[in-house]
Amino acid sequence: MIRLVRSEWTKLFTTRVWLGLLLGGCVMVGGFAALLTGFAGNAESGLPPVGTPEFEQVALAQATNATVLFLILGIIGMTQEYRHRTATPTFLTVPRRWKVVVAKLIAYSVAAVPFALVMLAVNVLVVTVYAGARGAAPSLTGDNLEVLATSGLALVIYALIGVGIGALLRNQVGAIVGGLVYLFVVEPVIRSIPATSGAYKWMPGGGLEAMTATFQGPDLLGAWEGGLLLVGYGLLAALLGTLLAVRRDVV
Amino acid sequence: MHGLSKSFGRVQAVSDLSFTVEPGSVTGFLGPNGAGKTTTLRMLLGLMQPDSGTATFDGAPYTTLTAPLRTVGAVLETAFHPARSGRNHLRVYCRAAGFPLSRADEVLAQVGLADAGNRRAGGYSLGMRQRLALATALLGDPAVLVLDEPANGLDPEGIQWLRGFLRHLAHDLGRTVLVSSHLLSEVEQTVDRVVIVGAGRLVREGSMDQLRSGADGAGTVLVRSPEAARFADLLRADGTGVTSQDGVLTVTGTTPAEVGRRAFAAGIELHELRSRTSGLEAIYFQLTGGSEQFAAPSPVAQEATR
Ligand SMILES: Nc1ncnc2c1ncn2[C@@H]1O[C@H](COP(=O)(O)OP(=O)(O)OP(=O)(O)O)[C@@H](O)[C@H]1O
Ligand SMILES: [Mg+2]
Repeated sequence: MIRLVRSEWTKLFTTRVWLGLLLGGCVMVGGFAALLTGFAGNAESGLPPVGTPEFEQVALAQATNATVLFLILGIIGMTQEYRHRTATPTFLTVPRRWKVVVAKLIAYSVAAVPFALVMLAVNVLVVTVYAGARGAAPSLTGDNLEVLATSGLALVIYALIGVGIGALLRNQVGAIVGGLVYLFVVEPVIRSIPATSGAYKWMPGGGLEAMTATFQGPDLLGAWEGGLLLVGYGLLAALLGTLLAVRRDVV
Repeated sequence: MHGLSKSFGRVQAVSDLSFTVEPGSVTGFLGPNGAGKTTTLRMLLGLMQPDSGTATFDGAPYTTLTAPLRTVGAVLETAFHPARSGRNHLRVYCRAAGFPLSRADEVLAQVGLADAGNRRAGGYSLGMRQRLALATALLGDPAVLVLDEPANGLDPEGIQWLRGFLRHLAHDLGRTVLVSSHLLSEVEQTVDRVVIVGAGRLVREGSMDQLRSGADGAGTVLVRSPEAARFADLLRADGTGVTSQDGVLTVTGTTPAEVGRRAFAAGIELHELRSRTSGLEAIYFQLTGGSEQFAAPSPVAQEATR
């Protein structure tokens, strides 16, 4: 299995997709962190002022904006096999196809760790410098540290979910577009409609929000339950994807 | 392969196909477009699930092989990530199969791509892609080689090289080679045995020699002579099929040697005598004729219907 995982890393780092997503993530996280710090304490924005624990926890959770990119990383990692038809040589090398999916789950979860650390570093750097300039840099202790840890964990879990979705859908563009529509349209709608918002806490977005609990929002699960829920979604998608990958003909 | 069948919806791609491939020889797997060659090979390699029947290597299905790349090397299509270099593509599979990374460079050299190894595979020409795909199949130095139309896109020199390479593998190293093609002439000089399929069914299985012996006298011969009209009458006299146009005769169902003998006996001067389709090709058309699913109407027929 370790051979297959290393093979997946070779695949990942011999094209530039990872670099693009990493840089994109840095820009995204840095941008959101700066915006948030900039508008902190502004009456119209409704954001708590710099120096309060509420501000610090929201500001240090901005790395979670990159979840969408980690999702795409996982989706591309799986679907590129079908898109570029390398599924044929891959499954010729490893005829027991479930091993390929498991290797990808492991490879992308592990590879997502340093990527997530980079996101957190950018987040902390921007907030520390900018908020420091505006009066008080947050300390990296207690609740603040916990927010960072759960944010990083959420990023890693989203890469795992991406692999699972990719195995399930196989079509790269379809999987990415579907993922974006779900995250940015379907879930926000469900979250905001009172009739369905009760179900939101059981959905991936609800799990994510529970993990990185911010200062406002609907009824949510606890942080660890939210994390487990997310992992559960990732593994469920991967399990279904694996079952399908094993049965479906490779053409 | 035993009793292999597969259908896609209403299309019966392969039906009850059985044949064996012998070690130490090159076997040609022939059939017109859509005959089910690729489908058969995909089932053989565990990429498609047959509706019925089994395909095994020394008794073991592909999916149960412990070291698949060492046992079987296969080229089904030229598949790689366009942004990855040829060398890195090979390294991916070295890693997955547990081979040393140096194997990547060895097989690149073997197929003549050593200089292009660091270039993006997306920029390769068709022939280079075929070579990279072949290199992938050779990574494990396998005992069996399965190739689906490997000559596609190769230049004449490349085809020449491929022929020699496959013969060397089979005859000198005792490997088993199964190579598909829709052209008999393409593999005629390479293969020892042929398996011919048409519309998913086995049409003929046997050695090239057997096929040749059945082909005697079945060809079409082209003759150019200043005495064309006289010679045509002479040939027609005993029922030989002849058509004549501008002093060129097309004689069917015979060999150049036979036509030459007749002309010599009658003292007729010949300016050209050659076989237009070899008897082998005629046999192949005859065998696969009617099983062609996607036969296009001939240009003449199209003209007539206008
Ligand atoms: N994935 C698929 N879905 C539906 N039909 C298919 C599929 N693959 C093959 N077929 C059909 O099965 C038949 C056999 O196709 P196959 O590709 O095996 O032929 P082939 O002998 O390899 O032809 P060629 O010489 O053109 O490569 C054809 O009628 C084809 O249309
Ligand atoms: Mg084919």
